[in-house]
Amino acid sequence: MSVSTLADEIRRPVEERAPITLLRILRNEYFLYAVSLVLFLYIWDWVAKAHILGKSLATPHQVVTELARLMTVKLAGKNLVGHIWDSTRRVLVGFTIASVIAVPLGLLMALNRYVNAIVKPVFDIFKPMPPIAWISIAILWFGIQEGSKVFIIVIGTFVPCLLNSYNGARLIDPELYDVVRVLGGHRRHEIVQVCFPAAFPAIFAGLQVSLSVGWTCVLAAELVSSQSGLGWIIIQGMRLTKPELVIGGMAIIALVAWTTSLLVTGLEKLICPWKRQIEGL
Amino acid sequence: MAYEAVRVKTPLILKILPVASILLFFGAWEFTVDTGIVPSTMLAAPSSVLKLFIAKLTQPNPDGAVLSTHAWTSIKEAGIGYLLSLLIGLPLGLLMGWFTTIRGLFRPIFEMIRPIPPVAWIPLCIFWFGIGLWGKVFIIWIGAIVPCVINAWVGVSMTNPTLIQMARTYGATDRQIFTKLCIPSALPMVFGALQIALAYAWTNLVAAELLAADSGLGFLITMGRRLGLPEMVVLGMVTVGFIGAVIGVVIDVVEKRLLAGIRR
Repeated sequence: MSVSTLADEIRRPVEERAPITLLRILRNEYFLYAVSLVLFLYIWDWVAKAHILGKSLATPHQVVTELARLMTVKLAGKNLVGHIWDSTRRVLVGFTIASVIAVPLGLLMALNRYVNAIVKPVFDIFKPMPPIAWISIAILWFGIQEGSKVFIIVIGTFVPCLLNSYNGARLIDPELYDVVRVLGGHRRHEIVQVCFPAAFPAIFAGLQVSLSVGWTCVLAAELVSSQSGLGWIIIQGMRLTKPELVIGGMAIIALVAWTTSLLVTGLEKLICPWKRQIEGL
Repeated sequence: MAYEAVRVKTPLILKILPVASILLFFGAWEFTVDTGIVPSTMLAAPSSVLKLFIAKLTQPNPDGAVLSTHAWTSIKEAGIGYLLSLLIGLPLGLLMGWFTTIRGLFRPIFEMIRPIPPVAWIPLCIFWFGIGLWGKVFIIWIGAIVPCVINAWVGVSMTNPTLIQMARTYGATDRQIFTKLCIPSALPMVFGALQIALAYAWTNLVAAELLAADSGLGFLITMGRRLGLPEMVVLGMVTVGFIGAVIGVVIDVVEKRLLAGIRR
């Protein structure tokens, strides 16, 4: 046995308290994480310094200094925090509008077949269109101000919100409804006590997907036309040929998007603790 | 399944409503534009989109290529990026599920790249690859590889431990466990990844073409906006949506064929 595999991990409970050897340290997952990160940064640094990709890659050090500089120096009247807030605000406004409309609509579609018959065909026409394809028409309609960006985010986040609440409520085990009926519950009880709780995990999964789509949309919209926001920082870095600005912007986006998705996960645990946890995801 | 025996008759109204709804939608759209409630500089009527569609089949003006050329450029870019992401992402994901070392080495990097929307890579791509084919392929690749890796990895690591122990009892080598047990049991997840990755590829393609392209459907949309031709914008959107829907259906059919016995 030279390499460690999934089969070993399943075997592991039996061989607890094995002595700490060099080999075990080398196989430790957290040790490997550290190695991986160090290697990644080192190779990145080396590639940037050796100009393998031309001069258009900044070293990690340059990126960090650039970000630190942006915290104090104002770019288009705002420092870094201001730009982060601009993008986040757009995402939150669009996301809120979309989820407030889409989630109830999805539930309604699942519960009432007449609503479903009216809304579903029109929705199916719009579903396969990538939200980013709407950018041009949004600019024609709302100009290049806030309106067009929020519109794209609403369009983009609407689809996963609606699909998940629709499917979440539609795919509930029919036996659960039977239980309520056997116990003498009304239609109202079926909806409040079975449909909502059972659809919640799916709805939250939809919100999670929506948020990441929302970030993609806000970036795309800001890349195409804007005067502030993280997408604007990136495009500004491109215009000024400053790769450190581009990469810094990307890093911040990753960080912010990751934080918001963590918040939604936390909220989910708070609101619906009955969700079955899938380990290892 | 006692439910299947009961056949509920669909009322006539439920068959009419979907058709009526679509007709009403297009009717209202046509009406608002024709009567000038929405100015024709902002939205094109379905009839003028149709007219432009027929014209664009043969005429390269005013954006330099006929519709099929644009569509082919887009499909080619999306296809190459998609295939590359499958070729690299699926084996990587499967190996990440199996080998502890590979998982340890790749997971942090992967977790760093994952939250970055692929769209954010566009400026770097333009730096590195210019606005040609490979820049777009890179963006599509980086967007589509994420679901491939995650699903393949989760698929392998969700293999039923009992089955692994059983296989070992019967004397299977680790290699056999991986190829005969883990990979087949990961297949449904992998196919899920194929679908998701394709949807991502198609979305990101449009984004890439909006920013930097000289042909392709995203370019058609951008040109429509620049020339102030809303019917061209709508035509581009409809074509993108249509091709996306067709590809989705094709994958669905292939999946049903290949996984006939495995699914649930």
